[in-house]
Formats: sequence, C-alpha cells, structure tokens
Amino acid sequence: MTDRTFEASPRPRARITGVVYLLYFLTAVLAVFFIRGLVVSGDAAATANNILAHERLFRLSVAVGLIGTALYIAVTVLFYGLFKTVNKTVSLLAAFFSLVGCAIQAFASLFQIAPLVVLEGSPYLSVFKVDQLHAVALMFIKLNVQAAYIYLVFFGLFNLLIGYLIFKSTFLPRILGVLMALSGLGWLTFLSPSLANRLLAYIEVLGIIAEASLMLWLLVKGVNVQRWKEQASAPVE
Amino acid sequence: MMERIAETSPRFKARMAGVCQLMEAVTAAFGEVIIPGKLVVAGNAAATAANILGHERLFWLGFVLSVIGVGFHIAWALLMYELLDPVNRSLSRLAAFVILVGCAIQALASLLYLAPLLILQGGSSLSAFTAEQLQALALVFLRLNDYAFQVYLVFFGAWCLLIGYLIFRSTFLPRILGVLLAISGLGWVIYLYPPLAHRLWRIIDAASALGEVPVELWLIVMGVNAQRWKEQAGAAGASLRT
Repeated sequence: MTDRTFEASPRPRARITGVVYLLYFLTAVLAVFFIRGLVVSGDAAATANNILAHERLFRLSVAVGLIGTALYIAVTVLFYGLFKTVNKTVSLLAAFFSLVGCAIQAFASLFQIAPLVVLEGSPYLSVFKVDQLHAVALMFIKLNVQAAYIYLVFFGLFNLLIGYLIFKSTFLPRILGVLMALSGLGWLTFLSPSLANRLLAYIEVLGIIAEASLMLWLLVKGVNVQRWKEQASAPVE
Repeated sequence: MMERIAETSPRFKARMAGVCQLMEAVTAAFGEVIIPGKLVVAGNAAATAANILGHERLFWLGFVLSVIGVGFHIAWALLMYELLDPVNRSLSRLAAFVILVGCAIQALASLLYLAPLLILQGGSSLSAFTAEQLQALALVFLRLNDYAFQVYLVFFGAWCLLIGYLIFRSTFLPRILGVLLAISGLGWVIYLYPPLAHRLWRIIDAASALGEVPVELWLIVMGVNAQRWKEQAGAAGASLRT
C-alpha cells in the first residue's frame, strides 16, 4: 500500500478507485432509499408524522450519507493521484472543489437531523404550536435541499475538471472525459435551481451515464499502464 | 518538496504537532464541552437563556475558544500530514482531506454556537415571538451545535483511524501509539449513529483518553526518531524517482 506499489502498478490503484466509487454510489442510493416517500412536499403535518414514525430510518439515512461523504473524499484523493501526472495544478484544483463540496454536504446533514430536534416533543418546545413546529421541520428539510443545490455546483466543477483531465490523459478513453465534462456542466445548472429542475431528468440521466461508465471502466479495465507511465515520466508541465 | 521537508528537523515538527494537539484539546474541551456544560441546562430553555445572558462573557469565551480550537486543529493536521507523508503519501493526503472537511464543519458550526446570543438579544426586532419562544429557539440552535460537533467527531474519528494506521506502519514512532489512536478513532466514528454513541459514551471517552494522551505526550517529549524518519523519507523519495 505504499506509493511504491502505485508507481509500479497504477492498474490496481485504478481498480481501487472504481471500487470506492461504486461504494459511494451504493451509499448515495441507500441514503435516499431509507427516506423515500417520507417527505410529503407542501404537507408539513404528514411529513412530520412520517419522520417520527420512521426515526431510525431517518437517522440511518444521515449516517449513510456521512459515510458517502467520507468515501467521496477518498475518491477525490484517488483521482488526484491518478491525474496529477496529466496536470498537477488542475488535479489539485479539482480536488479542492470537491473538498468544499464534501464539507458543504457533511454540514448539510445537520439540516436533515434538525427536523428530529424540533419534532421530538421535548417539553421546552411546547411554547410553539404543533403546526408551527411541523412547519419549521419542513423548512429545515427545504434548507437541506437548497444545500444540496450548492454542493452539486461544486461537484459539477469537480466533474468538469476531471472530464478535462481524462480527455487530456492518454491512459483513459476520451469519450469518458467528454461525458464527465458534460455531466459537470449539467450539475452547474443548479446555480439556477429553477432551470435545473426543468432539466432535472436529463441532468440526472447524463450524470448517471457519465459516472457509471467511468466507474465501470476503472473497475473492469483500469488504466492503460504503459501510457500512464509514459505520462508520469514526461517532464512536468 | 522532499528536500525541504527533510531540512526542517522532523523532531521539532513532531514536538510542534504535540503542542498543537494539546492546545486543540484544551480549547475544544473548554469551548465545546466545559463552558456549554456550565451554561446549558438540558431541556430547560428558560434557565439556559438566563445563564447565557447572565454570563455573556463566558459564553463568548466558549465561542472564541471553539473557533481557536479549529485553528490549532488545522495546524496539527498539517504537521501530522508532513510527518507521516513518508509512510504513505496517498493515505496521509486522504487523512488531511478528511480532517479538513471536519474542521470546515466545526468552523461553520460556530454560527450555530453564536445564534442563541443573537436570538436572546434580538430586542424589539424579534418581538413577533414571545420570550418563551425565543428561549426555546435558542435551545434548538444549541442542540444543533451539539449535532454539528458530533458530525465533526465522525470525521475526527476517521482521521485518528488513518493517522493511527500510518503511525503503526511508520518506523519512527512506537507502533502501540498507532494502535491506541486507531481504537480511539473507532470510538468517535460511532457518533455516526448518535443514540448508540450516547449509550457507549463512557467507553468512547476512555478510549479517547487512552489513545490521544499518549500520542500527545510522546510527540511533545520524545518527538520522532529523526534518524529513522529520514531513512523512511529517503526510501519514499527514492521510490518516487524510479
């Protein structure tokens, strides 16, 4: 597991990247799966009742989400190691964008836990009417969604730069880079959530196709070791 | 980059890391645990509000110490990254990124720490709410600050786990320190599911003391074995050049 093995064999390292990427996907799907149907948009009372009735699932979703963030930090580090031979500055920039996205994502988990804090029924909260508390809980859920729009923009920048790096690299197929860059542009539309929500189906499909094909390629094919080594030993840009 | 690190004495760096760790531990303990523990009365919004307004300076001190703690944490993280870089560059980079995210959460959480003061001193601008409602709202923000601290603890735990592994694999620090630190890290990671962590808090606290204090003392008193550090750094540098 030292860097020596990475230098000697980037292919296993590319495979590890694929595996961690896959695990990240699974946690992301699981986090959504746990709370599917719990939030009834516009109906604070129904949402509150659902959350209280499934408190454990709600907490599990938060926990799995945080594990997902940790895995994405690992993906970020692995991508940096993979692409720094292509362009060290751009790879580092990509990693920093992703880190800011991860920090926002982890912090946003607070807005997901906050509804439990106001709904748990502590006596000190009885100074508010029940429907006021329900409304506050729904407001926190909406803030959580808004926070997602912000971190998606940063992950969009990450995907865009990773797409560029793949395209410039000689050791991965260029089409994967094009797809990643396009998916990154898609996430950038969340700068205007109303536009993004109109295009949501396309953005999501594009995102899934781009990231799933990159993940599968890394998992199954790894990288072209010969070309990677050539690029690694080429003079630094 | 290798040369520059090698030129600065690794032992001095290790001692500074220990000092930063100690300062972080003290400031965070007062800022996040001891001072809020004195002022916040669990479940009692009125008493908590009275305590905060009655000891406003102490509350501010807690907030400031908490923010300073983040600063020491970042310095500690950077020094540990440079010290452990020769062991495994990718893993020490991963550790640094993980704790940076933790520090960012902790820094943002200071907003939640301060919110109660803004709410309780809002005066006429917040008169749409009754005094009791404002007190309850202040306590909600304090609860959220607790949660933010727990999210930070999860990332801190993951960092301890990674740092522990790297110390174990290093030749310049005693392996037992790495094992103990990794165990304490596992404890903090339990905060992924707070209800479980609240049941096990005595064990987690004990593991944390057993894991973190020895590392801290060792770094301050002994530093690292500079000879061995340079050997490992040299080996890592050589493998990069080939």
